Amino acid sequence: MSAYFSRHLQVLFSTLGSMRRTPMATINTLLVIAITLLLPSLLYVTLKSAQSLSSNWQGRPQISIFLQKNSSDSTAQLIFEEIQLHPSIELAEFITPDQALAEYRLLSDNNASLQQELAFLGENPLPASIVVMPDRASAKPEKLLALKEELSTFDGIESVRLDLDWTERFNAMLQVFSRVSVLLSALLGLGLVLIVGNTIKLLIFNRRDEIEITKLVGGTDTFVRRPFLYYGALFGFLGACISLGFLLLAANLVEEPVSKLAELYKVNALVHQVSPLEIIAVLLIGTLLGWLAARWSVAMHLREIQPR
Amino acid sequence: MIKLSHVNKRYPNGHEALKDVSFDLASGEMAFLAGHSGAGKSTLFKLITRIEKPTSGQIIVDSQNLSRLKPSKVPALRREIGVIFQDHKLLFDRSVFDNVALPLIVIGMPHDEIKKRVRAALGKVGLAGKEKQLPITLSGGEQQRVGIARAVINRPNILLADEPTGNLDESLSNEIIDIFSDFNRVGVTVLIATHDLRQVERLGKRTLQLHDGELVHDGELVDTPKNDSSNEEASL
Repeated sequence: MSAYFSRHLQVLFSTLGSMRRTPMATINTLLVIAITLLLPSLLYVTLKSAQSLSSNWQGRPQISIFLQKNSSDSTAQLIFEEIQLHPSIELAEFITPDQALAEYRLLSDNNASLQQELAFLGENPLPASIVVMPDRASAKPEKLLALKEELSTFDGIESVRLDLDWTERFNAMLQVFSRVSVLLSALLGLGLVLIVGNTIKLLIFNRRDEIEITKLVGGTDTFVRRPFLYYGALFGFLGACISLGFLLLAANLVEEPVSKLAELYKVNALVHQVSPLEIIAVLLIGTLLGWLAARWSVAMHLREIQPR
Repeated sequence: MIKLSHVNKRYPNGHEALKDVSFDLASGEMAFLAGHSGAGKSTLFKLITRIEKPTSGQIIVDSQNLSRLKPSKVPALRREIGVIFQDHKLLFDRSVFDNVALPLIVIGMPHDEIKKRVRAALGKVGLAGKEKQLPITLSGGEQQRVGIARAVINRPNILLADEPTGNLDESLSNEIIDIFSDFNRVGVTVLIATHDLRQVERLGKRTLQLHDGELVHDGELVDTPKNDSSNEEASL
């Protein structure tokens, strides 16, 4: 067992050694791999950040509850108190018809015809209303819809309006973005396999003599294949390391502008912090793809090389 | 140890390299394989090491029937056979040590043991102290001896040498052939392909003579065949 490990260790170091003997070619390959891996990682981080933005949204949706036009002040007060006590509701504000009218006037003060129509009606056409803000836990679309349904059943309530458009649109956009990201990542992964596979192919043909002679003195296919598999896996692993470096650099670069933007929109936006588990995942994916590429390349080309 | 029965080899280009060749080389025997260039000596070696397959006929090496040998068993066969190539087949970007050690590295021998064996093998062929040199810095005769060290390092049962004295002077040739005799004395089966008849006569061993792919003589050479070097380029 220890002989087995020491043999592998030997191949590992000799592979690292031969990589170091051709620094330019190695760095080129590693950079290509790093950039190919960087794009999916960037998409992932962007997606994660956007998702956290959507769930941490400070400007939570408001629900406007319009009371029946003929309800008395005391009924309205009762409904208001009941709503205030509802466990899913964090904040509720009562708006009297007069307040609503004043606000309406304020908002439409540049529109002369609307003002005229209002004057023509004579009395205030607006009902009393309650604007509520659900608590954080209830801010998800399906919960909001349930809350809306519940509120509609209250006595004395004419209608309940919930503006879900923003979350729905945002989530729909995120879904499209996530699908496109997955597709793009798969394509880039395929590209990575092709790049590494081709590099390994060149290595195999560069070492043709060595392979022939090794087979002549009784080297098994497994033995001949091993250094190339190490090449592939090491390319993938080192490429992934460089890619992670780039990713952290990129995250650092956008952090400040993002927080400035977030401040302007009064949202709590954060660039997704890459976790140790995600780092391990990137390294594993890189190593695995490199190994697979080498495996494929070796299967394609090693058989062609036989002693003559 | 090596037994050929009615072996034919025709290459895809139509060239008939071997025609109905049969012989039996016993374990521990030493023999020469003589013949002009293109007579089929190299082809015979390629068949014995399973680099090529015969078109027909049977080859048995170390009691293994090569026509029934699975590809996965080929490496094990080649470990039993030490081969010295006419063109040395050394790795020129590796040190003498790495070249000689290769057959031991492929079987996963521990490094310390490899070191000991390589030193011993290089000492035996008179290249002690040249471990770190690159083959390119060595003379032709020294490169040939690196090849010999590599062929014997794994203590094979069979040694095949293809023109090992190719372009060496007489004293160096004697030295190298004597190395093979030494191995033969400890029980290794040795087959040396050569058109250097001085060596054949000097040792007086069994000689298999090929002419245009046919085995024309088997036994000790009594008469030196004429025109041996005149039609060197004849069939290749």
